[in-house]
Formats: sequence, structure tokens, C-alpha cells
Amino acid sequence: MGNKVRLGFVPLVDCAIPVVARAMGFADQENIELELVREMSWAAIRDKLSYGVYEAAHLLAGIPIAARLGLGGVPVQHLVVPMALGRGGNAITVSTRLYQRMLEADPVSMHGPRGLSARALKKVIDEDRASGRPVMSFATVFPFSSHNYELRYWMAAAGIDPDKDVNIGVIAPQRMFDSLRNGWVDGYCVGEPWNQRAVFHGDGVIVALKDDIWSRSPEKVLGVRQDWVDSNPDMVSALVRALVRAAEWADEPGNRAELAQMLSEESNVGAPYDVLKASLDGRPVLRPGEAPIEVPDRHVFYRYTATFPWLSQASWVGAQMKRWGQVPASTDLNQVIRQVYRPDLYRTAVKGLDVAVPAHDWRVEGTNGADDRAFVGPDSFLDNSVFDPDLT
Amino acid sequence: MVRTEDFNILVIDEDPDRAAIVERGLVESGYTRVARIGTSHNLVERIQALAPDIIIIDLENPDRDTLEQMFQVSRAIARPIAMFVDKSDSSMIHEAVAAGVSAYVVDGLREDRIRPIVEMAISRFNVFDQLRRERDEAKAKLNERKLIERAKGILMKEKGLTEEDSYNLLRKNAMKQNRKIYEIAQSVITAFQLEF
Repeated sequence: MGNKVRLGFVPLVDCAIPVVARAMGFADQENIELELVREMSWAAIRDKLSYGVYEAAHLLAGIPIAARLGLGGVPVQHLVVPMALGRGGNAITVSTRLYQRMLEADPVSMHGPRGLSARALKKVIDEDRASGRPVMSFATVFPFSSHNYELRYWMAAAGIDPDKDVNIGVIAPQRMFDSLRNGWVDGYCVGEPWNQRAVFHGDGVIVALKDDIWSRSPEKVLGVRQDWVDSNPDMVSALVRALVRAAEWADEPGNRAELAQMLSEESNVGAPYDVLKASLDGRPVLRPGEAPIEVPDRHVFYRYTATFPWLSQASWVGAQMKRWGQVPASTDLNQVIRQVYRPDLYRTAVKGLDVAVPAHDWRVEGTNGADDRAFVGPDSFLDNSVFDPDLT
Repeated sequence: MVRTEDFNILVIDEDPDRAAIVERGLVESGYTRVARIGTSHNLVERIQALAPDIIIIDLENPDRDTLEQMFQVSRAIARPIAMFVDKSDSSMIHEAVAAGVSAYVVDGLREDRIRPIVEMAISRFNVFDQLRRERDEAKAKLNERKLIERAKGILMKEKGLTEEDSYNLLRKNAMKQNRKIYEIAQSVITAFQLEF
């Protein structure tokens, strides 16, 4: 009884780490009885974690920060992030109809770098405005999601105002695909398998991958409650170790087929094996009927410090919250970020293990080609900007 | 000041039976302006049109993610809405989470006016849960009985036992193996199916 951990997750490819921790015995090895419960909404996961139904949860990187600030009309919750759960596999998908319009409006941008494909969207928006058509609708999965921030970053870099030129709504991940298919939205940013699924069904085209926007953008994290951390420090360490080991296993190319099989089960992600396998192999299909492209870093679970809770990634999330008016620009977020993101818990947990940890808790982000590239992975923003978190 | 009976209450639930039970409870308590919707792709428009003071929605409903964003972008609806009125009252929130209820309330409504509505929803969710459990148990019992009947039939036909002896044989084995009679019945059925 004393070593039971109930963990809530949303059916997405990046629930792989907890799924593997249970299925492959990594939790058992740490003497943790890990119980996984699938949830269909981020709000439900957040509430069940906050009010003690779960001890741990698969959370969007922005949720614990928003919870600590009491954003979104929800009472303040003291959630803590002892580790990250990989770098996710987000993408921006548009309807095949919108894709055709983008291609006609701006073939040059559509054949250039994918990170700049929103330039074609800008032209379509301008055409619509000139002819008095209503604005288009896009969806992300939650207000405090990297999906929301990535979609806005991509649009804003092309001169689109995401608050005026389009509607951006929220739809739970597993409802995205139907919404696109039924024409309720023109495009969305979501994690896999919900992009690949739209392409396989011929309903959508992927116009930008996470890698094209910012490959190191934070994705899912492990969320736990502050009071649980305070009263169960050993359990937190054990859980982190089990999940880090699981991440290592999931990252191994030779294990990806087995992982796709595991995730395809209805109690996990419940998507077709082929869709999951294509994505996990780093061979996504961007347009219906076309050959896959090679994106080896499509799903990163362990390498490139993908489980380390970088303060600078949290800081970037905070900066996006300010940029889009979710928190006042004058708010000092550094203290909140240090309370929520706890690299110290991660360091304690993996101490003595063969797990590489960075020398510092934060770094200047976007410095692709800097001398830590082999360690932290490719790191460039679509506009080649640099993000200095200034956490000194 | 809005009088209690003038509150606009909206129940959002994909389960129409549960929504009906909650609605009936509220109406019987004197709240006459209760609307309910299942899931809807034009949720924003529907909510704008109904202008609810209180929204009761099942905790697991994926539409909650959509709702929370609407409340944040306060232009989308007339007034910003917060989850539960008194943020310090966590006992009611605990109760609600355990029952699978979540509520969104127009900012500024007094807690004592909200509390009975949320409590009604919690008790109705619990009643519904109980009913569903009883129904599931009844169904399971019926299935167990069917299994035992089939196993008895097989033993009578294949082993030439009387009905009573067949039942006793099942019961004796169940006791010996510390299992339920229906589990032994299932084994008998499986075993005889294998021989064909």
C-alpha cells in the first residue's frame, strides 16, 4: 500500500515513458506499484492530481506553472515538476483544402523551410480579408500548452496576429482529428498520433513539425504535488529513476516496434500500429499518399537531456504566457519557476546512476551549434532567435 | 441581486441519463431555469446563447479543456467564470472531484448561493453511480447464473449426472480450489469445448 503510485495520462505518443515503466518492469525494480489511468482531458488530470486522486501525472509543461499562479480561474495548486517526459512529437496540421490554398497563394514559401510555411497562411488570410470572408479557426489542446505557444510562434513569425487574424480554440487531443474532418477547424497543433492520423486518412497535411519551430521546446512533464514530495522524498526519487530508465528503453531504436505495439493497445493510446510506428521510427508522412521523410529526432525520450527539467525551458513557457497576455508582463516569474521546476529532485534521484546530467540548471536556448550540441541536441528557433532566460 | 430561482444553470454531460437525473434534482429543489446539452462542436455559441450563471459538467468531459479556454478569453462569453466560488473551500472541491463533478461559476456569486447547487449535483452524481453499479452487478450475477446452468447441462449430458449432483460437483470443486462456483463452471465449459 505504501509504495503505490497512481499516475494519470492522456493518450498521446509521449505517454510512452510511464507506460514503459510499468510494462517493462522499471517501476517494479524501484519497488513502486505503478497504476496507470487514462484520462481524456488535461483539466481532469490537473484536478485529480491536485485533489489527491493521483500521486503523479503526465502534464503539459505549462500546467504546473499556470496552477501555481492560479491562472484560468482555477484555485492555486502547488504542483512540482521533478522531471520532463521527453520532447514530444508535435506538429501543425491543416486541412487538405487549406493546404491547397496555401500552395496556390505562395508556392515559394510552401517549398521552403517548413518553419516558415505560415507565410503562405498569411497570404490566404489576406485574401480572405479582402473578400470579406470570416476568419479561420485553429485549435490547440490547452491554453497553457506548448502546442498553443508553438502555433502562435509559427504564425507570429510570419506576421499573423494569432489573437486577431484567426480564432484559436481548444479541443482535447483525441477530438482534433474529427474536428478537422468535419470542417469545424481549419488546422491544429497537437501531439502524435493525431497529426499522422489525419494524413493517413487523407484529411490533413502536416505543414510544420515541432523540430521546424523549436526542437528543444518543452513538452510533457511529470507533475506531482508539493505536499507529496515533502512527505515522500524517497518515493519521488524512485519514481524519477523508474521513469528515466523507461525513457532510456523507449529511446532505443531497436525497441520502437515493441513500443508501437504497446502504445497501440486500447488502454494506452489506442491508435493503429502503422500510424504509431511511422511516427516512432522518425519517418512521418507529411502529405496523404506521399513517401515518408526522415526525421530521426521526431520522438526523443531520453537522449539530449530530454528528461531533465530545464529551468530555461520553463522560463520560455513563462515568457510565452507573458507574450500572449496570460499573465501581466510585469509578473516576476523566476521565483515561481524555481518553485515549480525542481532539477534538484532530478539530480538527487539519478545520483550514482549512469545518467548524464547538465552542469547547470539553465542555458541560453536557441544556440544551435554551441559546444553542448551533442549533449542537448539540435537547438534552433525557426527565426534563429536566441532566448536568454536571465535566471541568475 | 439574482434570486435563486433566476439562476441559469447549464448541465453539460455526454451521458443523457445522468444529465436528466441532475436536472430533475435541481428542478425539484426550485431551480427552474436548468438547461442541458450533450457534447457540441459549437459549444461557445451555445453557452453564449444560454448565458449560464453556473455550469455543471462531468469532471472527465473533454469539453472542459475547451470551456476553460473560453473562460480565459473573456470576450468569448459575457462574464469571466471561475471554478467554484470560494477558492478557499477545498472540502467541497474534494467531494466534487471524488464524485466526478466539476462546476464553473460566474465570478462574484456568493458561495452560500452556489453551494446547494453544487451539492445537489454531487449527490445526484453519487446516486447515478450507485444505480449504475447496481445495474452492473445485477448483470454480472445474471451472467454467472447462466454459466452455472450451462455447466450443469454439460455435466448432465456428458457424465450422466442428475442436476443436483452436477451442482454439488461444481460446488465441491469450487470449495476445494477456493474459487467461485461460476469460475469452475467456466472451466467446465472451456474444457468441454476444447474436446471438440
